Amino acid sequence: MTTHAGVTDAAADGDRLADSQNIIVAENVDKWFGDFQALDNVTMNVREHEIVVILGPSGSGKSTFIRCLNRLEEHDAGRIIIDNIEMNDDVRNLNAIRSEVGMVFQQFNLFPHLSVLGNITLGPQKVRHMPKAEAQQLAMQHLERVGIPEQADKYPAQLSGGQQQRVAIARALAMQPKIMLFDEPTSALDPEMIKEVLDVMRELAESGMTMIVVTHEMGFAREVADRLVFFDEGALVEQGTPQHFFENPEEERTKLFLSQIL
Amino acid sequence: MADMPMQQPPGRIILPPHRERARRPFSVRAREWVRRNLFPSTGGTLLTIAAAVVLGLLLIGVLWFVFIDANWRIITVNRWLLFAGGFPREEAWRLWVGMGFVFLLIGLTYGTWSSFGRRDHLFVAVSGVFVVFIMAHGGTAIWSSVWFLLAVGVMYLAYALTARIPRELGPIRTLQQRVVGGLLIASLPLALVILLSGGASVRQLDGFVLNLVLAPVGIVGGLVIGIPLAIGRASTMKTISWTCTAYIEVVRGAPLLGWLFVALFILDDVIGGELIVRAMVVMAVFTAAYMAESIRGALQALPRGQFEAAHAVGLSRMQALRLIIMPQALRISIPPIVGQAIAIWKDTTLVTIILPLRELKGNADSAIAQREFIDDRIEAYIFVAVVFWAVAFMMSRISQRIERTLGVGER
Repeated sequence: MTTHAGVTDAAADGDRLADSQNIIVAENVDKWFGDFQALDNVTMNVREHEIVVILGPSGSGKSTFIRCLNRLEEHDAGRIIIDNIEMNDDVRNLNAIRSEVGMVFQQFNLFPHLSVLGNITLGPQKVRHMPKAEAQQLAMQHLERVGIPEQADKYPAQLSGGQQQRVAIARALAMQPKIMLFDEPTSALDPEMIKEVLDVMRELAESGMTMIVVTHEMGFAREVADRLVFFDEGALVEQGTPQHFFENPEEERTKLFLSQIL
Repeated sequence: MADMPMQQPPGRIILPPHRERARRPFSVRAREWVRRNLFPSTGGTLLTIAAAVVLGLLLIGVLWFVFIDANWRIITVNRWLLFAGGFPREEAWRLWVGMGFVFLLIGLTYGTWSSFGRRDHLFVAVSGVFVVFIMAHGGTAIWSSVWFLLAVGVMYLAYALTARIPRELGPIRTLQQRVVGGLLIASLPLALVILLSGGASVRQLDGFVLNLVLAPVGIVGGLVIGIPLAIGRASTMKTISWTCTAYIEVVRGAPLLGWLFVALFILDDVIGGELIVRAMVVMAVFTAAYMAESIRGALQALPRGQFEAAHAVGLSRMQALRLIIMPQALRISIPPIVGQAIAIWKDTTLVTIILPLRELKGNADSAIAQREFIDDRIEAYIFVAVVFWAVAFMMSRISQRIERTLGVGER
């Protein structure tokens, strides 16, 4: 269980991340589901503006890990610090963290009883106490950013999967988070819709958002990620630049995994 | 005409305009239908004839009874007894105003969120004729028909006014929804105030009026208690979920009749007060247990992702429940909730068992006990049955309408 250290100093991305601080610090994080250990002593930092793609077989704990980062799961041991706020049972800390961390789910999880606009304005209005008109204006900006302003008055069920996922991204962005978590955002999509979602994510990455993406889209990982992280059996096995990963991975388990999916 | 030279956006599929399919003449289609459905084979033909004979005899029997054999005087003579029983005569206008208020609400609600269809008009017309027929038959009480027709008029007026307001979202539409919604929420207390703010005591609610008061109290009270119960039972905090589970299981463990006896004997010592108020409390408490289970089912049917997305957006637990979870859960549970509502509507007859409360069915029994009408038991019960059926049918129609109206954008 060796961890490849000192990866973010890779020359290619040196300038972009040169003077950025750690925005996510996870130290020795454990998570148990009953007798099953889902996360085993995971230590990982993410710097501001960094794009991290997490890979790993199903059940390897990669989703569990990012769900711990906004407290959809509670970690059992270790520390998680987001933007200098420690994740603990203090409700104010939790709310502060949740409003800084946006999340996009595999199953979109749009609210089916609200229109597209209603989905996006809900958070700004109810959590940020933004006036309705302002929230709607903000929502339209983000809908334009993800390329579907004309769908504002429709209901989620009337949209295609790709459109729904783009609305979900707009919904998360409307809270103006500093970090975006993506939990297999394209796994539930028909093949022809994957690209439109990845394009939006690529644009987001270019704009300087800090992103952690759990995905099986190797093209996206290779092209967009600053760093790849490989999870297996709840542990962080190996991390490094895309180049390192695809050309000379060190760990046997990483090689095995990559040989199966590439 | 057929070829429209419009520049189409690339990648969009334009379907050809809908073409009216050629139809065969009605007579041909009718003959075809009859042959296929009524006389497909020798056996089928025999069945059709047998069914026609049975149905025909039944119809003749019913018509014979309704129009020739039956003595409807038991209803017309006792109409006040059946309608309001011991409610003070001098306060009767409050009943009519109350009825007008309910009809006003129906009109406003349909005008705001739905629309009257041909079947709704038919239902109003048939029940109107029914009421006027009963009222006019006795001779003197022409005024009740006038009041009833006035109430129907109020309903159509309210409908016409609200249906005119455009449905597009805007400040006026929002105001309209708020006002009508607020009136609906306040309607039950308001109606009770209309009925009881004068000289009439709550004890004097009687006959059909008592059914009409008890059922909404049971339904609304059941929802008000049942929603927190359902949420509580699903809670992760053990004390809360056990308390709610215990409530539900204990209440469901005995029939409503049993709880009404509790209201009659035990609650008398515990909380005292009017028997009818205790009966109302029991109806609400009883219905709540069933409502809670229906809603809990819906809560469990909601995908976990809805909670997670609500939290990820930053909503607190209460906000998530109020804005995301409950609206969806209540929508899913409309059919079972309406089932409960119809059950409780019919169960209002059970209060007759605990004297001295008399509702429609109980007063029908009193009417039968009059020497003059001793032979007219069937007429009285048929009348009661028709009235109960009409209200239950109306509830089920309204629930279908609500489901369809809310169905927009459903998964």
